[in-house]
Amino acid sequence: MSRPVPNSSSDRVEAMSKPSLWSEIWKHRILYLFISPFFLLFLIFGLFPILFSLYLSFHSWSGLGDMTFVGFSQFNYLLTEPVFWQSVGNTFAIWFLSSVPMLFFALVIAFLLNLPRLRMRGAYRTMFFITNVTSIVAVAIIFETIFSNQYGLLNYVLSLIGIGSLEWMNSSFLIKVVIASMVVWRFVGYNAIIYLAGLQSIPKSLYEAAVIDGANKIQIFFRITIPLLRPIILFTVIMTTIGSMQIFTEPEVLLGLSGGVGGAGMTMTLYMYNEGFINSNYGYASAVSWMMFIIIGAFSFINWKLVQRA
Amino acid sequence: MKRLNRLLLGAFCTGMLVSCANSEGAEGDTTITLWYWHRALDDQVIKDVEAEFPGVTINAQKVGGEYKTKLHTALIAGNGPDIVAMNDWASEYLQYSDKFVNLNDYGVEEIKEDYLDWKWNLAIDPETDTMIALPIDTGPTVLYYRADLFEEAGLPSEPDEVAEQINSWDAYVKAGEQMKERTGVFMFDNLQRTYLQNIEQQSDKYFTTDEEYIGDGGSVREAWDMAMKVNELQLTPRIADGERNAALNNGSIASFIGAVWEANILKDAAPDTAGEWRITAAPGGAGNNGGSFLGVLESSEEKDLAVEITKALVSTESQKEHYLGVELFPSTIETIESEDLYQPDPFFGDQVVMEVYAEAAKDVPLTYYGNLYGPLRSYFEDELTLVERGNKDPDTAWQDVQTKISRELSRQTNE
Repeated sequence: MSRPVPNSSSDRVEAMSKPSLWSEIWKHRILYLFISPFFLLFLIFGLFPILFSLYLSFHSWSGLGDMTFVGFSQFNYLLTEPVFWQSVGNTFAIWFLSSVPMLFFALVIAFLLNLPRLRMRGAYRTMFFITNVTSIVAVAIIFETIFSNQYGLLNYVLSLIGIGSLEWMNSSFLIKVVIASMVVWRFVGYNAIIYLAGLQSIPKSLYEAAVIDGANKIQIFFRITIPLLRPIILFTVIMTTIGSMQIFTEPEVLLGLSGGVGGAGMTMTLYMYNEGFINSNYGYASAVSWMMFIIIGAFSFINWKLVQRA
Repeated sequence: MKRLNRLLLGAFCTGMLVSCANSEGAEGDTTITLWYWHRALDDQVIKDVEAEFPGVTINAQKVGGEYKTKLHTALIAGNGPDIVAMNDWASEYLQYSDKFVNLNDYGVEEIKEDYLDWKWNLAIDPETDTMIALPIDTGPTVLYYRADLFEEAGLPSEPDEVAEQINSWDAYVKAGEQMKERTGVFMFDNLQRTYLQNIEQQSDKYFTTDEEYIGDGGSVREAWDMAMKVNELQLTPRIADGERNAALNNGSIASFIGAVWEANILKDAAPDTAGEWRITAAPGGAGNNGGSFLGVLESSEEKDLAVEITKALVSTESQKEHYLGVELFPSTIETIESEDLYQPDPFFGDQVVMEVYAEAAKDVPLTYYGNLYGPLRSYFEDELTLVERGNKDPDTAWQDVQTKISRELSRQTNE
């Protein structure tokens, strides 16, 4: 009663395991058509400009004149340009001054928001998040009036309590503090919400078990909360790093294109913008942006390694 | 299923086609596209000019945001509007004069005499003798000063006397010392302006007409030294840009040299001091800040028509309307002299300010800015700010700015 096995069966299996990609696409063309807008837009406005900027970084081009191939000379100029390295230093200084207090405060706020007895949690959450969706330009203008050298609100308060006023906008260090404070103000709530979500995902049973074992509050925080939050902390650190490395609007509105006194607020992105869109050195600006890519990539990698190991 | 496929594909394609098909204008009507920014031209003038050309529609677009970047992009694409407004950075486009219609080929010689010669000259590429644009407005500079504070400091306070006695930078600085001694008020607002307004009064700036760099000496060095003297005597309040309005309003600043258009900014910034300000001829002579141009792009398909419309938009009659409408200070001599513009201004103690402006407008020297004026100006401003507000040593600052410039120049010639 054995049934003869059709000869064609093995052929068919072979054909199915090796379908040509294009025939597969053609078969599902209607589905591909539906998802195509994203890919088309990405090709035109994402991938092409990225590749073109790489090509451009080996050329000299003002937009209107001829594009001339110059090899690595844009990168050479970049590596020996003090203003660029100053902007790298500024960016890192602002990153450090903003991210450390920001993530600390975010954790504290998240912890407070997570207290079981807290009422109107939703309202607080919204309030902390609102800073993140406020127009940066408006924020920069407000901060400018707070930190003004002579007639600033903060200096007025300082003089009321007997501390002398500071020239916030004249000192290289204080300019960075002002920019960092804007970043903190804007993103502390955002990070707090993320931490809060992380805190709420930690199972209650772990805490209950710890209490039964006689652990105190500090032990619970450092032995349970922090280790379980590590992936969330890693996420915020990486996002903060990438975001801080690209700070542009804050210094641009607060200090103008020059980056303030002595370029103390000149960040990498502001430098690139000046070279590209103000001075029309498109080749050089592309080289700057690729240099930024390398720096941010390397720095994020180091960060990731450090946080993972800790 | 197959039918659905066809239907969807069909819908997709028609969508694409429809979005492309609407660019044709109404039949039989010529459309001239004009790019300008808010208050670069008076809107009513554009409508009046449109009425002068029957069968022509002027599609006037107020291009917001980064106007210059957008214009630059349009020039790269070789497919832009017909007529474009350009600000004082028009001089940077002289090196790309082939992108613009050479107005010398369109008989503009006939109207040349109507305009201020120095302004006319700014739109001509010295190398190819191509004229890329016609003048819209100008920004001649004068001395704005507080008559009450001048009187308190024992200085002359009537415009004529001030112009006569404070007739040079040396006299101006000396008056500044007296001002500070007697009243404690600062004569200058900041070093950047002190330097810039001096440079603007000179015919030699950073480059010769052959694009040879001369900013390491000559009038640039003199203007720099003068600013350093002001700094040494501490005649500026060392404030950030955002605080200038407050300082003007509370009487910490006794004077500044500024362009015509700064009168309105001053009125908004310092309402509490209304009636105390006067203007007079600036020590060191007249200069110019700002002022825009109107050019026709080479890519235009209606060059003759576009040039005629451009001429009409900046004619003597139009310039008067631009001034009355949006306070664009004229570049045509006859308009500057028209009597009904000579009105007393209460903010300036009922002074007839036009008299002073008109004199200044005629005194501005012929000059050449050069392709790299923009970056070089910002290099100098950066170092001046450092000296004034960061206590940087003046000699080091001068060395640093020259080093930066020689790097910039080497990069430009390498290309």
